[in-house]
Amino acid sequence: MTTDASTQAPRFFGARVKRVEDPRLLLGGGQFVDDIEKIGMFHASFVRSVEARARILDIDTSDAEQMPGVVKIFTGSDFSRKEVLCISSYDGFQVSGYSALADGEARFNGEAVAMVIAEDPYQAEDAAERVMVDYEPLPPVINAEKALLEDSPLVHEGWRGNAFVERKYKSEGFDEAIKDLPHSVTGRFVMARHSGIPLETRAAIGDYNNASRMLTLWTATQIPYLIRTGLADAIGLPENRVRVISPDVGGGFGVKAQLYPEELACSLASIELGRPVKWVEDRREHLLASHHAREHTHEATVYFDDDGRVHALEARIVVNMGPYSVFPWTATMDTGMAMGILPGPYKIENYSVLGFPVATNKAPYGAYRGVSRPAACFTIERLMDQVARHRGLDPAEVRRRNYVTQGDYPYTSASGLVYDSGSMVESQDLLLSEIDYEGLRRWQGEARAEGRLIGIGLGAYTEQTAHATKEFVQRGVPIVFGYETSTLRLDPQGKLVISSSIHNHGQGLETTLAQMAADALGMDIADIRVDYGDTAQAAYGSGTFASRSAVLAGGAARKASEQLREQLARMAAHNLEASPDDIEFVDGRVFVQGSPEKGYSFGELCRMVYHRPELVPEGQQPILEATVAYDAPPGTGTFTNATQVAVVEVDPGTGGIEILRYAIVEDCGPMINPMIVEGQIFGGIAQGIGSAIYEEFVYDEDGHLLTTTFMDYLLPGTTEVPRMEVFHLETPSPFTVGGIKGMGEGGAIAPGAVIAGAVEDAISTIGPVLVDEIPLTPERVRRFIDSAREAASR
Amino acid sequence: MKPAPFQYHSPATLPEAFELLGSFGAEAAPLAGGQSLVPLMNLRLARPSTIIDINRVESLDYVRVDEGSLRVGPLVRHATMERSNTVREALPIASAVVPFIGYPAIRHRGTVVGSIAHADPAAEWPCVALAFDAEVTLAKTGSARTVPADAFFKTLLTTVREPDELVTEVAFSTRFDSWGFYEFARRHGDFAVIAAALALRTNDGVIAEARISLAGAGERPLRVPEAEEALVGEPLTAEMAGIAGSAAKEVVEPVEDIHGSSSYRRELVGVAVERAMTDAANRS
Amino acid sequence: MREITLKVNGKDTTRSVDPRRLLVDFLRHDLGLTGTHVGCEHGVCGACTVLFDGETVRSCIMFAVQADGHGVETVESLATGPEALHPIQEAFWENHGLQCGFCTPGMLMATKELLAENPAPDEQEIRTALAGNICRCTGYVHVVSSVQAAAAKLAGERTT
Repeated sequence: MTTDASTQAPRFFGARVKRVEDPRLLLGGGQFVDDIEKIGMFHASFVRSVEARARILDIDTSDAEQMPGVVKIFTGSDFSRKEVLCISSYDGFQVSGYSALADGEARFNGEAVAMVIAEDPYQAEDAAERVMVDYEPLPPVINAEKALLEDSPLVHEGWRGNAFVERKYKSEGFDEAIKDLPHSVTGRFVMARHSGIPLETRAAIGDYNNASRMLTLWTATQIPYLIRTGLADAIGLPENRVRVISPDVGGGFGVKAQLYPEELACSLASIELGRPVKWVEDRREHLLASHHAREHTHEATVYFDDDGRVHALEARIVVNMGPYSVFPWTATMDTGMAMGILPGPYKIENYSVLGFPVATNKAPYGAYRGVSRPAACFTIERLMDQVARHRGLDPAEVRRRNYVTQGDYPYTSASGLVYDSGSMVESQDLLLSEIDYEGLRRWQGEARAEGRLIGIGLGAYTEQTAHATKEFVQRGVPIVFGYETSTLRLDPQGKLVISSSIHNHGQGLETTLAQMAADALGMDIADIRVDYGDTAQAAYGSGTFASRSAVLAGGAARKASEQLREQLARMAAHNLEASPDDIEFVDGRVFVQGSPEKGYSFGELCRMVYHRPELVPEGQQPILEATVAYDAPPGTGTFTNATQVAVVEVDPGTGGIEILRYAIVEDCGPMINPMIVEGQIFGGIAQGIGSAIYEEFVYDEDGHLLTTTFMDYLLPGTTEVPRMEVFHLETPSPFTVGGIKGMGEGGAIAPGAVIAGAVEDAISTIGPVLVDEIPLTPERVRRFIDSAREAASR
Repeated sequence: MKPAPFQYHSPATLPEAFELLGSFGAEAAPLAGGQSLVPLMNLRLARPSTIIDINRVESLDYVRVDEGSLRVGPLVRHATMERSNTVREALPIASAVVPFIGYPAIRHRGTVVGSIAHADPAAEWPCVALAFDAEVTLAKTGSARTVPADAFFKTLLTTVREPDELVTEVAFSTRFDSWGFYEFARRHGDFAVIAAALALRTNDGVIAEARISLAGAGERPLRVPEAEEALVGEPLTAEMAGIAGSAAKEVVEPVEDIHGSSSYRRELVGVAVERAMTDAANRS
Repeated sequence: MREITLKVNGKDTTRSVDPRRLLVDFLRHDLGLTGTHVGCEHGVCGACTVLFDGETVRSCIMFAVQADGHGVETVESLATGPEALHPIQEAFWENHGLQCGFCTPGMLMATKELLAENPAPDEQEIRTALAGNICRCTGYVHVVSSVQAAAAKLAGERTT
């Protein structure tokens, strides 16, 4: 029997409240891992492979051991080859373990081969330089396409070829369907390797207490519980003697959602030495060895009719994964997801796709905001623009003809994804009207007459969010990320603590979770504290990724708050001789509907439960706690959608791109905190602009990383990211608590496609060209311009 | 990324600084702004065993105009060049170029002379120094010599400075009445991919003397004599801008790196020279 | 080791340091002022921005010994506690000018300098002044509006 919490207007849900976590961050009082010092702590510095692939013949630590402050130097054999395994259940998946320290062979430039422990970080680095490693270079495997060829060297001895697995899917009737379609366009779309590059590098403190046999690992991670389980399993410790604490974290974006060898190594070193061991990654190490992402090559073809309606899509997806299957994703994640979402928000009935995650000797590859969707969006949106060109249609019109529409939902895509709801057409229409698309095209014509290269690019997507059990079962991951958990506890004062399995590193979850719980209890969020990151506190869950924390942990918090409301209503009713259905919770008071004087302050009532158990009704516990683990139905996620547009000017001399305007319509359902939603959108788009124009990991042909500082790996700043306009629609999910959807990754999905489309449009006055590669460095833009010129003159 | 250990000295006078440089020579690095040196030290690409910090030496922070030059002392920060009225009047390019250099925090510490002594081919000051016929003074205990900019720069990060010498002044020529500058960088504040600085002496709109200097086109800042010659006797027009650009493009052999292949940089040279000329034309 | 004496957030401070100790490490680990952050150690990202004799500098590419006899202000100098935030901090709070908070101290110090020099900057001036402060979270839109709001607050304070 639940009281209806929805009868009064929510005070906090939907409000632009200031974030609870801000004051400490503004004061410089945030506590990041490097801000933590433990008595007796040692410092670690890793010696890293200078080769992409080499047998390690010998590691001579004798000079290094003599250096001031050096305590110990570990190499691979010291850690008994402890490794992290992450095995996909997909048929034919080939296994590779990722060791704490390289196990006799280094498989990427930057892999840790030795660990120096010293009294301070400067000394540790001094000694690390003096460790002499004797490498026997082996032929490195760098290019993913070449790695798939028969004659390629094998990254892992004993494997059948270099693909971790081969995946394929073909919808029924595909071959027949394409015979009937008169037109097709094909492209080979390349997205360069890049990654999330959070401003805080990774850091960890392994602290093993010999006396209590407890291992505590402080680590900048998005997934504290998965780290705890993975670490305990990999090292062979009882999990109830392992504690992981992730405090304030300076950005994650997926890069900090992995169990890394350094986390293993710091733990193992601490166990060995009986002292805390701290490691703070430097930026060069980060670029070398924190996982990379986004390196996709898609060969894709769409088949369409005279009206530009696309009825079939065929693709071959190759992803350059580096040598290891990282925990907890497996090496199949990006490939599988790209295969799933490639058809995009379109009604493409026929689909045939091959997917190859390929082992190479570049850095290992993990999750980064969007996880394959940026590459998939790039491909399908570029193809849609080609369809438009082929049929002489406006890109907006082609999309309109192909979008999944209101009447289609829930729509099962050709790949089997269930789009539960959305507003593709409405979002595009709103966007185009807000920016006065027709007026913009007219202005473009005038600017072109002046000789300016102005382009308009459009990109749309639907984003799977808050996917849980059912989805991850299909993905073949060893740990199915099926839910998140919130435990709510009221204290005798009537203050609330929400302990959650998620982690918060910029998403505002300390605020939004409170917003989700406050209204049911008539509480002010000032009386709610959200706790996370310490596995000794909250109940188990997976962590923060896949745009799901608000939906799952928020949904869990809302449900748990409703449970507490129910308990309190029964308590009040019992003591006021009323029916629980008649109890109201408003602004910190609990009272009988219609008779506000017949009631208690919220604090009074809570205290009664804890300190006056004789007043608690029979069958009810004299404590106020509720834990809910929430797996939002239908388990395959709820779909957010957005449309983005950019107006750019291309400088034909330099190839430079100036973004004159950037606008977006976002539909992520009802927004818990619109200010936070907008912040996520702008942040995602900024990273997307990095993907589109600036960011790229460049390796030489022997697999040495050339972009090892911020002079070479370029991050967009205030002068590269434009002002952005955002408009909202709110199409609720039919399934989740409050109808809410996730949206944290979305902004990053489309900018590659949008900017590429805009640049192609800008260059089109010179000649026809297909812009099929990002980032659009100025040199690449010049080359596209040259191609366009050449094509025009033929 | 911590630097390797070093001995540190912070002399209070120039003679003391010279003496220290004399003793430690090749093992030592002078430290003024440190905005180029310290990053290299943190990356351990530079490992001087001795640092001679000249920031305490009095009266090295001067800007003086005399007899056809703007003289800049070794502790003049980039920011000073932007703010100084003296600089803006005597050598306007020296004020105009500062916003291209990094960001405020870099400009508060980094020095003009330090940038020139460091000789990064993609930096703005070496390029401007070359265009404006700068004279570089190198001093040590007991002697000093002055070297024209073109002879000062040798190759990548290498100049004629001997280990026991300190660059104590750079004097830019103020005889040029027109100037132009164009820089293309990947992001605001980054080093140039290619930049062109133009120094012109004109008579009634006709170019009497031209200096074109390029950043990013080689291992050191480069002059382009062929393009310069093409300009002499010609008017300062858009058409001449195009001709100068084409001429420059023909003769450069740019090195390639992550930010540009040699063929792309060659194209950019043409663009940069043309735009620097257009910049100069617009100003007259 | 060298003995240095400097003013840190207005307080005279004397310590013994190894010449190669970076100023940012000195502030964070020797003085416990962990508000200033390390993002790159080569002067590009701006997370380490502090005021040195009133001007912004990159503390990751300065040595602590260079600060001998000088004054350094870190983010901790802006306010004493959450009840008394600096108007710039208030403005960032109200306008969602931060997400993970790692770039924030550097951003605040750069903003403080900007508004001291230019009390009413337009959007372009704000973006140009903060171009050396990288943020991976916000996309800068709310940072700009926070600075504009801070400018208004400080202007309001001056007239009252």
